Amino acid sequence: MAAVSKRAAAGAAKSAGAAGTKTAVSKRAAARTARSAGASRTKAACPSQTNSIVHPRYGCTIGGAYTVAAIERGVPVVHCGPGCIDKQYFILCSDNGNQGVGYMGGGAIPSTNIGENEVVFGGAQKLDSLIDASLKIMDGDIYVVISGCSSALVGDDVESVTSPYQDAGLPLVYVDAPGFKGTNLTGHELVVKAIVDQFVGSYNGRKRKRLVNLWTVTPYFNTNWRGDLMELKRILEGVGFSVNVLFGVDSEGVSDWMNIPKAEFNILLSPWVGVDIVKHLELKYKQPWIHFPTIPIGEEATSAFLREVVSFAGADKGKAEIFIAKEAKQYYYFLEHFADFFSEYWFGLPSRFAVVSDSAYNIALSVFLADQIGLIPVKHIITDKPPEAFRGAIDGLYENLSEGVSSKVEFIEDGYLVEQSIKNADFGEGAPLILGTSWERNIARELGAIFLEVGTPAMEEIIINRSYIGYRGALSLIEHIYKPTVNVF
Amino acid sequence: MAKELRQIAIYGKGGIGKSTTTQNLTAALAENGKKVLVVGCDPKADSTRLILGGLAQRTVLDTLRDEGEDIDLSNIMKRGYRKVRCVESGGPEPGAGCAGRGIITSIGLLERLGAYTKDLDYVFYDVLGDVVCGGFAMPIREGKAKEIYIVASGEMMSLYAANNIAKGIQRYAKQGGVRLGGVICNSRNVDREPELLRAFAKELGTHLIHFIPRDNIVQHAEIKRKTVIEYKPDAEQAAEYRTLAKNIEQNKKFVIPKPMTPDRLEEILLEFGLLDELEDYAI
Repeated sequence: MAAVSKRAAAGAAKSAGAAGTKTAVSKRAAARTARSAGASRTKAACPSQTNSIVHPRYGCTIGGAYTVAAIERGVPVVHCGPGCIDKQYFILCSDNGNQGVGYMGGGAIPSTNIGENEVVFGGAQKLDSLIDASLKIMDGDIYVVISGCSSALVGDDVESVTSPYQDAGLPLVYVDAPGFKGTNLTGHELVVKAIVDQFVGSYNGRKRKRLVNLWTVTPYFNTNWRGDLMELKRILEGVGFSVNVLFGVDSEGVSDWMNIPKAEFNILLSPWVGVDIVKHLELKYKQPWIHFPTIPIGEEATSAFLREVVSFAGADKGKAEIFIAKEAKQYYYFLEHFADFFSEYWFGLPSRFAVVSDSAYNIALSVFLADQIGLIPVKHIITDKPPEAFRGAIDGLYENLSEGVSSKVEFIEDGYLVEQSIKNADFGEGAPLILGTSWERNIARELGAIFLEVGTPAMEEIIINRSYIGYRGALSLIEHIYKPTVNVF
Repeated sequence: MAKELRQIAIYGKGGIGKSTTTQNLTAALAENGKKVLVVGCDPKADSTRLILGGLAQRTVLDTLRDEGEDIDLSNIMKRGYRKVRCVESGGPEPGAGCAGRGIITSIGLLERLGAYTKDLDYVFYDVLGDVVCGGFAMPIREGKAKEIYIVASGEMMSLYAANNIAKGIQRYAKQGGVRLGGVICNSRNVDREPELLRAFAKELGTHLIHFIPRDNIVQHAEIKRKTVIEYKPDAEQAAEYRTLAKNIEQNKKFVIPKPMTPDRLEEILLEFGLLDELEDYAI
């Protein structure tokens, strides 16, 4: 690692020298990045995607169970084969920042564990008894029955099992989520919409001024979801909003969900996951929505985000500016002290970077690194299989990472192809910075890269309340990126 | 007042004449100004041939396979005789894949594409043969068809199948709102057929909603790719289908069927199914 650090890029050294103030960092580096970005090119054409995928990077639709587990006192009840829900635990939870399951995840999730009998004779009866038992044993505020592949293939009429419970007034929701419908992100959207339709229900009452619903990173799938939601709630409250955060410790659980229809509007921070949700809410509750495909990281982007939301709501700008000024002061206070290191330790710092992750973090991190740190974007590989309809818009986001800086994004799911693509990228002479998943660890080592896990799976991370977004998360991100450059043993 | 959409599923033994009966019935309803959608739920995709005047239609599953999920309703729904809307679910190649799942997929797609418009009076699901698995029960799940008619004849195997279908209906009826609306006899000219069917229907707890006599004109019309209603509107057989349509329109008797044991079914066959044993020897 020491040798790697010593060989660090001259380009970074020069831009690092300019890190005295934030404008100097971002503007000058941007100009440099613009010139250099054109020079980075792939060395050879990559083989194309086949039917096989190594290195899984998402769960299947039934992983929507973890969306339920992220709700305070939410109980997922799954109707699938043995192993299905356990697999989700590994990819979304333990092998993903060792996040911990809390009240109702992991081994606590009730499952029918469908076997030969249920496939041949139908699994409705077994599900019925599981629901009955779950209601007695699992102490929760909302129960979400999620059925998987086997029952969908043999045609179990799950709705007819769940509807008597709903008719009896029990807080029970049903979601048809066979694994072949898509990824855990599909499952996440299905679960949210089902809860809205079957649990929250219709609402014709008044909207509550300055109350907003927040839709952003996917719980568990995005390892930092807990910390990110806290940061977003904190800053939105800072400028005068009440926030239905819906998941995690800052949420009031089902009462947050019941308040969804009362919100003035929906805020969506994500390139594509959640678009279906806010469109659904627009139809159902006539709620407008404001969309930020790029989650803000750092002072510039975060302040701009807050100003846009405040202006969208027609809220008090003066009050918002007081909060923004306070946050900015804190942010630059810390950044100024970081600048000592950033400008002096020039020989150990990376200048070119690659991001391999889901769409939401990929674009957010790429913009921050190119626009605010002044690094040169080389590779952006999105691995969460965005629907075709969104890919054009996502492409567009990379065309303007910073002033005059553009890059290209690739959509790859197969680990071999990801490795090939990174191997063929031009990282120049220095050590590259690779923000990826555990699967990129080998190629990062091979390239002598500075490496940080930011995507699913993240097996070598312990994540408690970490955030990489907003004001405070940005500083944490900088710490985590640069720690390996001084950690030479 | 908003009109109430009636969703009706037609079941019965393979080859009994479900598709022919359904199409003549829907033609009679359309003739009477009703707005009808026919959903063929048979991998053979021959449930709408007479209404459309040929097998020209691409099935939902073929379209899905070739073009993916991003399709328009007009790709899969065609209008035939008197603007009757027709959809064929289709299915995988014989011996491959899962036809039951195919029906679940295509009905799901129809809902998503908005095929169930408010102006419709009737949706008919023409389902193949027996309710062999959960997929073939899709049309009678929650929120779908609430009425079922079983097409049968006096032939023993057809009654066995009808009784078996009644078991499936009973199962779903106990969970939800689906009910048996009656038995339609598509006559095969077997002995004492009307009496037998009436007795059979009564035992199931339902009624014989209409007895359609056998008439070769149906075959003639089929060769011409037409329903009898369209081919020879003034034929007696056309009047029979109109009566069936009227009876279904006015039907108020919807029951949870009481399927019988095989022994009881055989008893009924013995009691009503024979004119006179000696006739076996008649030349």
